[in-house]
Amino acid sequence: MNAPVYPSIFIACPCSDNVGQKAPTRSRTSNDEIDPEEEGQAFNPRAPRSTFSLFPLENLLFCEDCNQVRCPRCVLEEIVCYFCPSCLFEVPSSTVKSEGNRCTRNCFSCPICFAALSVTATGEEQTGPFILLCSHCLWSSQDIGIDFEKPTSITTQLAQKLKAANASSAASLTAPSPDSLSAARPLSPLGAGGTYLRPPSPSALPPDQTDEAEFGRLKAHYNQQKALASGDDYGGSGSLSRLMGLYSSNSGRLRSYGSGALRETVTARNKSEWRELEQLRTVEDEEDVIEKMKNAGFHGTTSQTQRIVQTHSPRLLDELRPLAALLRTKRSKRCRSCRHILVKPESKVGSIRHRIRLVAGSYIPQISISRLDHTAVNYNNLQPGSTHQFLLTVTNPLYDPINITLATPEKTPGQYPATVYILCPEFEVGATTDVWDEALGPEAKANPKVAKGKGKKTGLHATIWDSGRNWTTVVLEIVPPLLPEDVELGDDDHIVKVPILVRSVYEADIEREDTIGKEGREKKEHSYWSVLEVGRIAKKRGADEEGVRPMSIMSTTSSTAADETSGPRDRSLR
Amino acid sequence: MPPKQVKGEYIETDTGNKVSRKSNILGSQNIILGGKTIIQADCTIRGDLRRAGAPGQHGNVAIAVGRYCFFARSSVLKPPGKTHRGAFSFYPMKLGDHVFIGEGAVVEAAMVGNFVHIGAGAVIGKFAIIKDCVRIEEGTVVAPHTVIPPFSRVAGRPGVVVEELPETAQESLELKQLYRVI
Repeated sequence: MNAPVYPSIFIACPCSDNVGQKAPTRSRTSNDEIDPEEEGQAFNPRAPRSTFSLFPLENLLFCEDCNQVRCPRCVLEEIVCYFCPSCLFEVPSSTVKSEGNRCTRNCFSCPICFAALSVTATGEEQTGPFILLCSHCLWSSQDIGIDFEKPTSITTQLAQKLKAANASSAASLTAPSPDSLSAARPLSPLGAGGTYLRPPSPSALPPDQTDEAEFGRLKAHYNQQKALASGDDYGGSGSLSRLMGLYSSNSGRLRSYGSGALRETVTARNKSEWRELEQLRTVEDEEDVIEKMKNAGFHGTTSQTQRIVQTHSPRLLDELRPLAALLRTKRSKRCRSCRHILVKPESKVGSIRHRIRLVAGSYIPQISISRLDHTAVNYNNLQPGSTHQFLLTVTNPLYDPINITLATPEKTPGQYPATVYILCPEFEVGATTDVWDEALGPEAKANPKVAKGKGKKTGLHATIWDSGRNWTTVVLEIVPPLLPEDVELGDDDHIVKVPILVRSVYEADIEREDTIGKEGREKKEHSYWSVLEVGRIAKKRGADEEGVRPMSIMSTTSSTAADETSGPRDRSLR
Repeated sequence: MPPKQVKGEYIETDTGNKVSRKSNILGSQNIILGGKTIIQADCTIRGDLRRAGAPGQHGNVAIAVGRYCFFARSSVLKPPGKTHRGAFSFYPMKLGDHVFIGEGAVVEAAMVGNFVHIGAGAVIGKFAIIKDCVRIEEGTVVAPHTVIPPFSRVAGRPGVVVEELPETAQESLELKQLYRVI
């Protein structure tokens, strides 16, 4: 939705390596094989599969037992509670099962613009009749001829109104069909479609027999479904046979149940496949439809998004129904391989707290990138062929100091490789200590090793640029490639993507209760591939500034000048 | 991140609020700032639009703001008002902690929770309720009376929830660092 912001950093979740499709990836990249580390192969950010394993750090979790990051693809989710996003009431899961995944209170959204509808009084002195009014586009339920006597239990009232409307429209054509029953649940997949959903020819049968015919048809359908479902172990067959058992007796029992049983039948129908809906759907007279659409005009017809969210895919705007709010869930997350809980939110709807929350940001070193020369540069217009110097900051979230080793292929993967050079690939990052240490003075308890190199800012080879309590900055040089102008290039080729392997080694206390004293220290290590999307390469040297972001203060030419001035200086330093 | 301002641009209060001299604050006696809140130039805060009639047990508060909030340039905070039983009245507006209001945004919400980011140019309709950990993208128009649940990313006109925010949303929406910069 938003334009990508450069520079951005993504972290590769190794979970896709486990799915056993490593072989094809290897063969594809065998031409430009680089062998930098014991990892075997540099991460290729341009590989088609990479898109699915790159995530920003914020979206990653961490499993302590597996010592590995966990992305949204390699966690299992369990629903803690259901709630309505509009009224924020918790909905018990039994209600969700019986009533469907929509709010049964007064929460509706506009069928035109999807903003929230509010119950509004139309009468004097806040009295009825009441309508559902969209305060964004001013659509109201009166547009489809519906108003309500009281401002509460709108769902029930709406169901009755639609049922009545369906019954009257159906009566004009046919005898009341069982289809009008479905209108009792206007929100269900089969509901609210009286004019569209008609059993093939109900008028041929008296009402009683219609029910029976419908029942027989459904029974046959479920028998078929059961036969299909028994093939897989999806658990569907069990619930289907339970349903079948519920209604396996004769239709007399069905009648003796009265409306309650019919309600259940409708529920059963709702759970059925959409294919059944297609069977039920009788096409209206085409001439009729054309005539209606001609009268309504283009602006009277529904757009695709409007049609898709409605259960009965209406063609015209006046056939739209208010949409009951879809429920949302709070979910806990488990590691897919060891089943440990990674995230467990509090079950209260309004609460943002978590009982368990193992996010990657508090376990793995975080990297961030900024320009060395503090003048603003247009990241969307990087000059090819000139050296761009960036500051790569590694922040340590752990309570132990870590040793970082950065590795990157000299030439980035891809058809047009950029040259990357990390001035100091091995360094130490201090521990995250108490905030008071920083408050009492930055040097008060800082690691002496780290403090030694602090504040030098020399830019010399194999020395760090700067460091603080729990962070260290090194210089990173990138030379974007000169892109050929006569070749058709993909959008991806214009972006400088630098894969960097971040490996951290540290000593931590062994987490065992029986260990006494501080002797129990063990060496731990963790490594991950990250991808820096540094920016877009400019068309050519001194190209006109199209797509210049307003935040850039300097023009392209002056940034080039800055690069040229900084370039020789660094060369002499090296 | 805005650059460091020239000295004297802000008036600092005892609780650490920094209010721009160029901001337009009306009815300041009806405004409560929790502390460490930054109000930039050209902000309009309508504390004068308070509840009609004599001050009841709720007192005079028109706008209550939590700690570490940041109101960027030209943003507007206005308590929502409606006609109830024939009389027009404004209702108090409550903002939680760590609320960021972007440049030129207009907020008429009844309640904004903690850790809420309202992008530049966004419009929050009357009596909207925004819960904790919500990010409203730039230029979003949130319809009046909308309720936005926690951990949502809202975009579009009208603003609808387009995405759930990850568990780390609270950290990424925190504004303590921003306060230190100013």
